[in-house]
Amino acid sequence: MNLLEVSALCKTYGSGDTAVKALKNVSFSIPKGQFVAVVGESGSGKSTLLNMIGALDTPTSGNVLIDGSDVFRMKDEKLTIFRRRNIGFIFQAFNLIPELNVEQNITFPVLLDYKKPNKEYVEEILTVLSLQGRREHLPRQLSGGQQQRVAIGRALITRPMLILADEPTGNLDSQNSSEVISLLKTASKRYQQTIIMITHNRSIAATADRVLQVSDGVLSDLGGMSNEKLS
Amino acid sequence: MKSYLSLIPISSKVHRRQNRMTLLCIIFAVFLVTAVFSMAEMGVRMEQTRLLDKHGSLTLQDLSDSAMGQTLYLIAMVLFVLILVAGVLMISSSINSNVAQRTKFFGMMRCIGMSKQQIIRFVRLEALNWCKTAVPIGIVLGIVITWCLCAVLRFIVGDEFSNIPIFGISITGIISGIVVGIVTVLIAAKSPAKRAAKVSPVTAVSGNSESTKNVHHAVNVRLFKIETALGVHHAVSAKKNLILMTGSFALSIILFLSFSVLIDFVGYLMPQSSSTSDINISSSDGSISIDSTLLDTINDMEGVKRVFGRRSYFDVSAELDRDNILSSTIDIISYDEFDLDCLTKDDMLKKGSDISKVYGNSNYVLATWDKDSPLKIGDKIWVDNESLEIAGLLKYDPFSSDGLTNGKITLITSGDTFVRLTGITDYSLIMIQTTKNATNEDVTAISDILDKNCIFNDRRDQRTASTYIAFVFCVYGFLAIITLVTVLNIVNSISMSVSARIKQYGAMRAVGMDEHQITKMIAAEAFTYALSGCIIGCASGLLLSKLLYDILIATHFSYAIWSLPVTSLMIILLFVFAAAVAAVYAPSKRLRNMAITGTINEL
Repeated sequence: MNLLEVSALCKTYGSGDTAVKALKNVSFSIPKGQFVAVVGESGSGKSTLLNMIGALDTPTSGNVLIDGSDVFRMKDEKLTIFRRRNIGFIFQAFNLIPELNVEQNITFPVLLDYKKPNKEYVEEILTVLSLQGRREHLPRQLSGGQQQRVAIGRALITRPMLILADEPTGNLDSQNSSEVISLLKTASKRYQQTIIMITHNRSIAATADRVLQVSDGVLSDLGGMSNEKLS
Repeated sequence: MKSYLSLIPISSKVHRRQNRMTLLCIIFAVFLVTAVFSMAEMGVRMEQTRLLDKHGSLTLQDLSDSAMGQTLYLIAMVLFVLILVAGVLMISSSINSNVAQRTKFFGMMRCIGMSKQQIIRFVRLEALNWCKTAVPIGIVLGIVITWCLCAVLRFIVGDEFSNIPIFGISITGIISGIVVGIVTVLIAAKSPAKRAAKVSPVTAVSGNSESTKNVHHAVNVRLFKIETALGVHHAVSAKKNLILMTGSFALSIILFLSFSVLIDFVGYLMPQSSSTSDINISSSDGSISIDSTLLDTINDMEGVKRVFGRRSYFDVSAELDRDNILSSTIDIISYDEFDLDCLTKDDMLKKGSDISKVYGNSNYVLATWDKDSPLKIGDKIWVDNESLEIAGLLKYDPFSSDGLTNGKITLITSGDTFVRLTGITDYSLIMIQTTKNATNEDVTAISDILDKNCIFNDRRDQRTASTYIAFVFCVYGFLAIITLVTVLNIVNSISMSVSARIKQYGAMRAVGMDEHQITKMIAAEAFTYALSGCIIGCASGLLLSKLLYDILIATHFSYAIWSLPVTSLMIILLFVFAAAVAAVYAPSKRLRNMAITGTINEL
């Protein structure tokens, strides 16, 4: 069964002569548990596509169905809660909350739901991410790699069906990059999560189950890991 | 671009929204100073016209030599300094936030070769660039408001303000407005400019890290829900801002409570009684000899608005019916219906009084009172074998100069009760209120019909109503200024705080914070400022109010007792609440309407 179905997605910024078509009739679907990399030049429309899938931005036309729910038909309040419970976000700039410590940052989406975080699960995440010794630390006391691990923890805490990562390794060195990617892959397998990740790094893209390329707003499916176009 | 400074107008166009608050602050300061000095000049011109009218062709002394001119300019100078300080504080905090938000920009400028001195010049000129629009707007606003105020004084307050010019333009006002605009901006831009110059070029590469530098400890999420805890933390973590905001709220509250005492003080100095008369007619030997028909005659004359009289009967023997019967002599004074009505209208009666029983022919009376008086409501007094019950007590003794009874019992009865008790129908005092347009001829006509036994006392010159109104007007006007400064300050501060964290809020929205939670978080921040200001302001304001009351009022008017200013406190609470709500409204609306992707990517 497909977890994500994107059909005829278009996004145009501006109007008239200055109109820019960022996405042109994009359609694809992703089954549950797949690890997908999205590649493309700067300004090709990758981030726009990811923002649409995460319902952070609204399309000019087209639909996005996550687990059968049409996200753009939801009212804002319902959409926020849907996003909080079903989609995890990882940003290039980490975007952690500077006033919250590691543990609080990880449990933030649960706290927003006014629920008590599951202690065992929090421990498990901290262990998987090797952050046990850092739980009381503030983001500014962590290295870039550690901060991105916290962001991954925050994306995992609600056990979302879908994780969207916008260049999660963009600000990291090669060692931290490969650690983050292997963590994401482990999570994908362990918690049966679908991951869509934007990356500029071809070797990272090559390790994904499937690669999508966006070029000038048009999407093409490059297929699986063995694809020679990537190597 | 001719020089790097050509960037200033371009950048101000791009950052129009962020600059709006700073612009408003400058406009506000310029407007206030222009209005204050223009009003002072109008006052001086009014005095000039009055002197001209009075002394005819006499050469007028130099304006600044006249006592009134000096007082008005002195007040204007004091207000000038106050506004300058408030303006510098306001504008400085908004330029500071403006600079803080553009750390990366200044870092980049340093990176590509701008020197520290050039950055300082850049920030200063950027601030002066705002004056270009803000100063003219402030001056025009100041002039228009002066016109409105003069019209209010001339047509609504009237009397001694009837000579005030309406469409006057004050050069002093305009010049001081320009000076205050430029001086405040230059002083205010000083510290932010230095701060901007200190930005290291490396910030251009490492990003805007300013907002995270001040965080030293994590939020306590055990006490509140996460969004409330974050909001409170935002307010408490920036110590300097917290002190500034709390101080600004507290200062307004303290000033409000202190000025209320000042209004009370003037109220005691110039009691505004509804029954204040313009003309008094009394019997020359103090005996009761004015025929009651005179009232009707005067009532029908030109220029008379209202006539009422008082009868009096002094040193009557009476017995106070208490546990042990006290014998003494008392005074009885009769009040006409209008006079009795005024007691209620002017709030002269103590709590528990029931004046309605006193009207008409009854056995109920009112009595004067002070804190040493033995009388209580419900006490009975025997006069001439008749039992009179005290239905109400006055707050003080209006018949003595110091407001104290000095042990004397004075009863106030209705006219009918007085006549029944004493058999006297003649008045001892007739009081006349004239109409607004009563002429001197009208007043002379009244004095002409009186016989030799009567003393005619024209008290129109002693009217203090318009001076009192003008004073109250000024005090409340000043309070309104202080209040506006506080509101602008909190609105500005919250707006800046939101702008500084906009990227963070975008991330919070992305990971699932909803609109209500965002609003609650901003509200928690605003209410933390408001609440701490309220607590400190009310506590110290009440102490100061009591102290001022004791020094100014209680030492001179011994019957005056300080009581908790409940109404003022309620107004303050309501106002602080409204200010906090106003401060939250715009930023939360802005965040709601902003696309999440826009807030995440904004730098």
